[in-house]
Amino acid sequence: MRSVLGPGCYVHFDRDLCTGCTDCVRACPTRAIRVQNSKSALIVDQCIGCGECLRVCPTGALTAATSELEEVAQDQISVAIVSPVLYAQVAEVMPQDVLRGLRRMGFQHTMDLSYQIELFQAATREFIERNRTAPQAPWPLISPVCPVVLRLIDVQFPSLRPHVLPFLRPTALLARDVKPRLIQEYGVEEAAVVLYHITPNRSSLPGERSYVDKVLGINDVYSELMRHLQPSPTPPPIPLAHDPPEQDRFKYGTTSKGVLWGMSGGEIAGLDTDRSLAISGLSETIAYLQKIELGLFRDIEYIEFRTCPAGCVGGKHAAVDKYLAQSALQKLARMLGAGQNVTRDQIINLYNAGWFVAAPDDTEPVYRSGMHREPLTIASLQEIDTLLEKIQGKDCALCGAPNCRTFAEDVVRSRASLRDCFLMCKRERSGPK
Amino acid sequence: MSVLKKCFHVKKRDFISAGEASINIQNILKSMQIDPKLIRRIAICGYEGEMNVVMHGGDGMVCAEINTDNIVLDISDNGPGIEDIRLAMQKGYSTATDEYREMGFGAGMGLPNMEKNADLFTIESEKGKGTRVRMVFHMRR
Repeated sequence: MRSVLGPGCYVHFDRDLCTGCTDCVRACPTRAIRVQNSKSALIVDQCIGCGECLRVCPTGALTAATSELEEVAQDQISVAIVSPVLYAQVAEVMPQDVLRGLRRMGFQHTMDLSYQIELFQAATREFIERNRTAPQAPWPLISPVCPVVLRLIDVQFPSLRPHVLPFLRPTALLARDVKPRLIQEYGVEEAAVVLYHITPNRSSLPGERSYVDKVLGINDVYSELMRHLQPSPTPPPIPLAHDPPEQDRFKYGTTSKGVLWGMSGGEIAGLDTDRSLAISGLSETIAYLQKIELGLFRDIEYIEFRTCPAGCVGGKHAAVDKYLAQSALQKLARMLGAGQNVTRDQIINLYNAGWFVAAPDDTEPVYRSGMHREPLTIASLQEIDTLLEKIQGKDCALCGAPNCRTFAEDVVRSRASLRDCFLMCKRERSGPK
Repeated sequence: MSVLKKCFHVKKRDFISAGEASINIQNILKSMQIDPKLIRRIAICGYEGEMNVVMHGGDGMVCAEINTDNIVLDISDNGPGIEDIRLAMQKGYSTATDEYREMGFGAGMGLPNMEKNADLFTIESEKGKGTRVRMVFHMRR
């Protein structure tokens, strides 16, 4: 059964494998999943694509929709945009050889994100510096890098939207920049150029704020990649508007800053402020967003949030253990040394030209298409309270909702019947005392 | 007119659960999908008030009354009371102990912040009896 709802959602349920155990129902931070008829789970609304349900599903009934590796061969110009986390999966292999491996697998072009990451970090620094003395600046700024965090804010913390740094994340910056250049370079139709994001966490749908066309989990490419890790000829570089002087992206390639980005703390490591925090894991993220909403951390300038534990290395599509990957990234960063690829002039020029800024369309709230929940009225909230007293439940989730309050809400919204409550049925059957 | 009233106990020195009352109230307001900016102001006021009870007050109560026109936050405690309310309302004035200052509190911005963020703000206090802060927020739909 395919059940996909909302722009953040990429989860598929296999009805035959689902036992209706409600593990996913309880794990969902937006209470978007219900089990119907004690049998199979489905998404009802407000999926933000965090993937917690995938992590907890004991039967494998839940899968993430990713593209198939075979599709690469069918694309006229296929481009791999590579998360630095991929390098951590193949320890002892240098990034340029990993990228060559991908090209041997069929990608025409491979793009390391280091350069964009450095640009992004420098622009973030610039933004903080320029706004530091502005009394209205929404401190703390929230990193726009993790797409799940952005959706979480849209759905649960809309009052924090002004805190989000108004920049596109590096992947999107790269994709937005490179696609028209490739179209021009090859003289092809737009559809001929397909950008793949190779990522440890399937967290964004193509298009939505990402500018990539298809997504492959690292574990989708891992075993193929291992077979292709041999030297191969380097293709001609793609010229970019803000290209480094020598015009060779691959020689220019991976840097320690880009590599460290894959782990929690990597983003703020490149900032010039000691008033920054790095927070990882979904429950921590929610807890700290809540604190910001209460008015805490106003003296902090920047907060890096990653919903995966330990950062992107903890993504659910990573192939190796997150702490081993973290260690591998640190080792790689040491080998690459403390190089800097971008100059201040480049940054200032791009910054002043508005190159980093997310367009209004890019930051449209995800509330559209099925994500919307009707607001509750005072009367319905009172009704929910009355129901809760009547149910006197224990959040057993046997009704298929994550807790009694959500169940009562569902009843008030006419999405569930009171008869679905096992506890009440049992009480009724045993009669009045 | 129908009113939804929610009350939460706040215990002295209970830093672990401080903020829970405000979060609960926020979640109700979010489910009503009222203006996020208003939710933020109420959240900040609720939390400041809650922290005041935790640090200075005895045991206290945070109540929210929600109707279609406005939201009332009513925060009361049976603590030592405030000797000079005019002084307490000044920015930067605080009677927080060194211990609380080390925890990052005691900037003397709590009450001024609440007054700033609420549409209506009243405070009553009697020495030895306790303090009560009432804040009204208008719904602007």
